[in-house]
Amino acid sequence: MAADGRMIVMADADSRDLTKLAEYEAVGGYQALQKTRAMSPGAVIDEVIASELRGRGGAFFPTGRKWSFVPKPNQNPNPHYLVVNADESEPGSFKDNEIMSRVPHRFIEGCLIAAHAVESKSVFVYIRGEYTGPYEILRSALEELQTRSEIRGDVTIVLHRGAGAYICGEETALLESLEGKRGQPRTKPPFPAVQGLDASPTVVNNVETMATLPPIMQMGGTEYAKLGVPDSRGTRVVSLSGHVERPGNYEIENGTSMHELIYGLAGGIPGGRELKAVIPGGSSTVILKADEIDVGYDFNSLLTLNTAMGSAGVVALDDRCCMVQLGIRISEFYEHESCGKCTPCREGTRWMTQILRRLESGEALQSELDLLLDVCDRINGKCLCPLGETAAIAVASYVDKFRAEFIAHVDRAGCPFGDSSPLHDVLAPVAVHTHSASAAVPA
Amino acid sequence: MSATEIVRLTIDGTQVEVPKGTGLVEAALAAGIEIPVFCYEPRLGPPVGACRMCLCQVEPGPPKAQAACTLTAQDGMVVRTALTSPVAADAQNATLEFILVNHPLDCPVCDKGGECPLQDLTFRYGPGNTRMTFPKRTFEKPIPVSPLIALDRERCILCYRCTRFSEGVAEDGQLVAVNRGAGSMIATFGDEPYRAPFSGNVIELCPVGALTSTKYRFEARPWEIQDVPTVCGLCPVGCNVSATTREGKVKRILSRNHAELDNGWLCDKGRFAYSHLHAEDRLRDPLLRVRRRGFEEVSWERALDEAERLLREANGRIVTALSGSETVEHAYALGKLLRQGLDSHTAVFAEELSDALDAFRMPLSSIRDADVVAVLGDAPIVERAPIVDLWIREARRRGARVLYELDEEAVRGAKNAILVWCGPGGHGGATVAAHAQRLGASGAFYIPETANGRGVCDAWACAADMEPSNPDPVGLLVVSGDEAAANPGVRALAEKAERVLVISMFHGLAAGWADLVLPGTSYLERDGTYVNLEGRVQRLRRTVIPPAPDELAWISKLAERFGVEVSPYPSLVFEEVSAIAFGGIPYGEIGERAPLPPAAVANAPIDAPTGPPRSPGSGLRLVRYRPLFSGPAVERVPELEFQRPEPEAELSEQDGRALGIRNGDEITVRSNGTSVRLRARLSREMRPGVVRVADAHAGDLQPQVEVSK
Amino acid sequence: MSTYYDEVQEIKARYPNWRSATLPALRLAQEHHGYLSPDALRECAEALGATPAFCEAVASFYDMLHLAPVGRHMVEVCTNVSCALVGAQQVLERFEEELGIRAGETSGDGEVTLRPIECLGGCGWATVVSVDHHYRTHVKPEDVPAIVQELRSGG
Ligand SMILES: Cc1cc2nc3c(=O)[nH]c(=O)nc-3n(C[C@H](O)[C@H](O)[C@H](O)COP(=O)(O)O)c2cc1C
Ligand code: SF4
Ligand code: FES
Repeated sequence: MAADGRMIVMADADSRDLTKLAEYEAVGGYQALQKTRAMSPGAVIDEVIASELRGRGGAFFPTGRKWSFVPKPNQNPNPHYLVVNADESEPGSFKDNEIMSRVPHRFIEGCLIAAHAVESKSVFVYIRGEYTGPYEILRSALEELQTRSEIRGDVTIVLHRGAGAYICGEETALLESLEGKRGQPRTKPPFPAVQGLDASPTVVNNVETMATLPPIMQMGGTEYAKLGVPDSRGTRVVSLSGHVERPGNYEIENGTSMHELIYGLAGGIPGGRELKAVIPGGSSTVILKADEIDVGYDFNSLLTLNTAMGSAGVVALDDRCCMVQLGIRISEFYEHESCGKCTPCREGTRWMTQILRRLESGEALQSELDLLLDVCDRINGKCLCPLGETAAIAVASYVDKFRAEFIAHVDRAGCPFGDSSPLHDVLAPVAVHTHSASAAVPA
Repeated sequence: MSATEIVRLTIDGTQVEVPKGTGLVEAALAAGIEIPVFCYEPRLGPPVGACRMCLCQVEPGPPKAQAACTLTAQDGMVVRTALTSPVAADAQNATLEFILVNHPLDCPVCDKGGECPLQDLTFRYGPGNTRMTFPKRTFEKPIPVSPLIALDRERCILCYRCTRFSEGVAEDGQLVAVNRGAGSMIATFGDEPYRAPFSGNVIELCPVGALTSTKYRFEARPWEIQDVPTVCGLCPVGCNVSATTREGKVKRILSRNHAELDNGWLCDKGRFAYSHLHAEDRLRDPLLRVRRRGFEEVSWERALDEAERLLREANGRIVTALSGSETVEHAYALGKLLRQGLDSHTAVFAEELSDALDAFRMPLSSIRDADVVAVLGDAPIVERAPIVDLWIREARRRGARVLYELDEEAVRGAKNAILVWCGPGGHGGATVAAHAQRLGASGAFYIPETANGRGVCDAWACAADMEPSNPDPVGLLVVSGDEAAANPGVRALAEKAERVLVISMFHGLAAGWADLVLPGTSYLERDGTYVNLEGRVQRLRRTVIPPAPDELAWISKLAERFGVEVSPYPSLVFEEVSAIAFGGIPYGEIGERAPLPPAAVANAPIDAPTGPPRSPGSGLRLVRYRPLFSGPAVERVPELEFQRPEPEAELSEQDGRALGIRNGDEITVRSNGTSVRLRARLSREMRPGVVRVADAHAGDLQPQVEVSK
Repeated sequence: MSTYYDEVQEIKARYPNWRSATLPALRLAQEHHGYLSPDALRECAEALGATPAFCEAVASFYDMLHLAPVGRHMVEVCTNVSCALVGAQQVLERFEEELGIRAGETSGDGEVTLRPIECLGGCGWATVVSVDHHYRTHVKPEDVPAIVQELRSGG
C-alpha cells in the first residue's frame, strides 16, 4: 500500500502490524467504539449522515440513509442483523482483501459501531470462500477479542465463508447464500433493511464501508466530509492493476484525477507502451479511452462520462490489447457467473460470448456486430439484478468506443492483433468446467 | 378491522379499481388486459420475477421496464403493457427471443403442443424468426424423473415453477435446480426418482413440454380430447378434477382448482390411479359360483335372478357391508332395496361419522388463515387426506403455530385456532368437535378413511327408520364395493355367513369367496354425489361408460322385483335423499364447484366420548396406518409401485434424541417376541410417544412397542 | 462414531435458521470425503435435516464445491483480465506442461487438479495462483516447476 498522504482506512498500517490488537490499541484503536457506545443509535446515524459516507461496495448508496430505513426494534420486534459484504469478486478489485488482512481490527471496530447504530446483536461477515488468508487473520483478530468483553459487548460476530460465486456479492443473493440456499438474487422490494436475513431487518454493507466508520466517529462526521469533493466525500481505497508499473491498492482522496492515479501513483505504463483504455471501476463499468482519463476519480465526474467508480478497481490496458478479446473474456466471466435465474442474463450472456467468438475468429458478418449490440440492448434493462445488465453495458461500451477495431475484425476476416495481444486465447473457467458432473453444456 | 382499501390505477389507458395489495397481473386482468407470464404463479408463494415475460412500463418508477408480476397495484399508478408501450413490447419480444434461443422448437412431437403457454405467447408477443445461428444447448432427453414423469431439459425455460412447488408448497425437497447460469437444469438427486405424494402437480405447472406425464405421452392431441369435470373419489377431500378422455377412455386427470378445497393441487393417487379402470382383472360380467367348476360368467338377466333368489332365501337375515365409496344415490338405493324391500336394516359401515362436527364446519382453505393448528389423532394426515397436509404446511409458512398435541392454552389464546383429528379413537369427529367447543376453536376437521363415508351413512339412514336386528347366523352378506371386499373384518364376517353377494370391480378381490359377484364401477364412471370431509356435497360426473351397467341401474331393476321403487336416475334419487338429509338442495344446483353449506348451530354442549384409557407402559405406542399409495385401485397401477412406503418407522425428533436414534439409522421395533428391522425417520411433525409404521411393514407388532438401535 | 453430525449441529446453532449451516456443512463434508460424493451429500443431508437433492442443488451452484472427484491438491490459476494482461495464460500453460494434463483435468495419479479460475481478488499481485486455497502472488511461468515439485514431494 502506498498513499498520497491521506490515509484514513489504512492509517498506520504501513508503520505497524495492525493485525495485533495491542498495536491497534496503541494507535487509538477501539476508542471510536467507546465514543459511539456513549451515543444513542439515532445520534450515530446522524453522525454518519453528516459524514456523507457512501457505500464502498459498488452502488455508492449513502450509508447513514440506508441505516435510517431499518425499522426500530419497537416497529419490528424481530432480531436485527448486520451483514458485511466481504465477497469481493469483481474483476479488478482487491481492496477488501487488503483491508481485512492489514487492518482487521479497524474493520471489526467498524462492524461493532454499525451494529450499535442499527441495534443489532448479530453480525455475519460473508467472506468469499477463496479468501483463506483474510479469513484466518479475521479469525485470530476475533479470537484476540474473545477475552475483551468490554470491546465485544453483547454482539456476536460470525464469519461465514462463501464457496465460489461472484453473484453472492449482490446483497440479496448474498442473503440467500447466507441462508444456505443457491445464491440467486431476490426481487426488490422488499429491501433487506425491511426483510433481509431470515426475513428480519438487515443492513448489508461493504468491508471498506465498515472500516471507514471508526475514523469517522473519531474525527466527527463533518470533519470527514471536508475531504473529497461534493457527493464523493472522504477517501477511497482504489485497486490499480493491469498495465501499470506499480499495481496495488492506493488510498486516495475522492476526486483525485485518474491521470494522477495511473501515471503518478501507479507509475505509468510499463515497457514504454501507450495506454489504450482504462476500466475505471471493476469489470462492470463502461470503459474509458486513453484520452478520457483527465477526469476526477469521483462519482459526478465519472458520471459525465457515463461511467462509475463501482468497486474502485482500475484496470489499465496498453496498446497491444484487442478489444474483442477483452469483450470475450469479460462476457465469459459474466456467462460463468450468471446465476441462471432470469432469462435475459442466463441466455443473453452466453449468446454474447458466442457472437464475440465469431467476431474474433473473423467469420462474422458486419450484421453480427449489430446483432451483438442488439443482444446487449435486449439484456440491458430487462434483468432481475445488475449482473446481466452490467455485462451488456460493459461489452457494448467496448464496441462503442473501439468500433473501428471491431469492424476491422470483420473486414480483415480475422484479429488484427492476433497472438500479440496479451488477452489472446485466454482460457476462461466457463470453457472447461461445468458446475456438476452431469451437465452437458457445449461452450 | 377496516374495510378493504380500494386503489385506482390506469392500465393501458383503462381505469381500474382493485383492492389495495392486488397484484398488477390480476389488476390488469380486471381491466380485461393480459400481462403475459411464465414464472408467476401466486399459489407457489411470493413472486420471483425470474422469467421476465411480464415486463411493463410502470409509473411512478424507473424508466426501464418493470416485472409486473412482482408489483402490487398502488393508487395513481400508470401501467403500460405491450399493447401501448413500445418499451414493454420490445422487452417482451426480447424475453421470448432469449427463451427461444436454446429451445428445440419441436412442437410437432411435443405433448404440450396446442395447450402450451410458450406457443401461445410466442404467437402473440414473440419474434417471427430466429437470429440464433449457433448450436443450441443440448441435453440428454427425455429422462425419467420418476416412473410417472419425464423431463425434457431442452424444452425447459427455467421458470422454476416445478422446483418452487417441490420446495415451497409440498416441501418435499426432491425436485431441484442444479448448476448455475446457462448450465442450470432441473434434476432430482442422482438417479433417484421424484418420490413424493404430490409430484404430479409439476406436470400441470410446467408452462412448456419439459415435464410430461409418462402415462399421457403421445396418447392424445388437444383437439382430440374432451375434458369432463368431476371430483376425485379416492379420499375424503374430493378434489375437483377434469378427466381428459379420448375415444371413451380416460387418458389423464387434471386439477380443476376449487380454491376453498384443493387450491388446484392433486395427489399422485388422484392424478395417476385412473388406469385401474383398465386393470387386467376388471370384471365385466357377473360371476356365479358353480359347484366344483368354480365361477362362471353369466348374463345380467341370470345374475339378477340369482340375486333375487339369494335375497329371498336369506329371509331377512341380511347384513350389508358398505365401502364408503358408494355414491349417495347408490348407497340410498341399496338401502331402500334392502331395508324397505327386505326389512334388512343391519349394515357394517367403513366408519361412522358424527354430525357434531357440523357446528365447526369451515372450508379447508380456512386452515391457511389459522394462527394455531392442532393436529390430533396419530395417523399421518398426508396418507389419508393429502391435500389437508398442504393446507397445514401453508398455514405454517404463513406463521401459524402447528401443534402436534392439544396445548389447550395455545388453542384458547389463539384468534383463529383450527383442530384436525386424524386417526383412530376420534369417535367419528365427536371428540374433536367437543374440544373445539370447549376451547373456543373456530374450526374442527375430522379426517375419515373413506371418500364418501359421511354420504353413505346419511344415505343409508335416509332409506328407512328402523333399528338393525343383527341376525345370527347371517343368511346373506352383501358386500358393497372393493374397499369392503378388501377389508379383513368383512372377510371374517363372510366366513360365517351362509351366502355372500359381492359387488366389486376386480376379479382378484371377489372371486373365491362369493356366491355371486356383480361387477362394480369406479367413481370415474358414475353420476351422483359424494359428501367430503368438510360436509360439502359434490357432483360426480360419468367421464366414460363403464364396461358393465352401473350399480344404480341394476339396483333399480332388482328393487322392482321386490316392489320397491328406485329410480335409475341419480338426479331423482338425490332429490329423495336431499329432502331428508341435505336441506332439499336440488341436484342441478350443486354446480361444478360446490359451495359449502353453512355451519350448524351447536345448541347443546357436545359430549366428548372418551376412548379406552391408554395403557401406561415404558415403550412407545405403535400407530399402523394405511398408506396413501395402497388399496385396490393403486395396486392395479404399476407406475405407482415406486410410491409405496419404504420400510420406515417414523418417530418424533424428541424420542429420537432420547433413544440415541438418528435419521436414517437401522432400528428394531419389538413387541411380545416379534420384531421388525426398519429405518428410522425422525419427524418434526409428530408428537412424542408414538411410532408410526405403514401396515405393510408392521408385521405382527402389538400396539405397545420397544424401539432400539 | 463420526463427529460430523455433531459438528453440523453446532454450526446450526450459530444461525437464526438451521438452513444457514448448509454451506459450512457442505464444506466440511467435502473436507472429509475429498469431494461431495452422493454418500457425502446424503450424510450432509441427514445432519442438516434436509434432502440430498437440496444439498446437491446448493453445492452445484458454487465453484469451490466439487460433485466429481478432484485431486488431493488444487491448483487454480486466475485468468481474469488483470492477471491475463500480465501473462496468466502462460502460467496456466506452464502448469499444463509440468503436470502433463490440460486445464480442467486431474493428474493421472490423482494428485493435482488444475483449473483456471475467475478473479481471485488479487489483481494487483498478478498472476495469482491459488494452491490448495492459499494464494501465490506474482507467479511467473518460471516459478511453476518449483510449485509443482513442492506439491509432488510435500504431499
Ligand atoms: C453483481 C453484483 C456484485 C456485487 N459484488 C459486491 C461485492 O463483492 N462486494 C460488495 O461489497 N458489494 C458488492 N455488490 C454491491 C452490493 O449489492 C451492495 O450494494 C453492497 O454490498 C452494499 O454495501 P455498501 O452500501 O457498503 O456499499 C455487488 C452488486 C452486484 C449487482
Ligand atoms: S421444467 Fe418446466 S416448470 Fe420446471 S423450470 Fe423448466 S419450464 Fe419451468
Ligand atoms: S412472470 Fe414476471 S418475471 Fe416471470
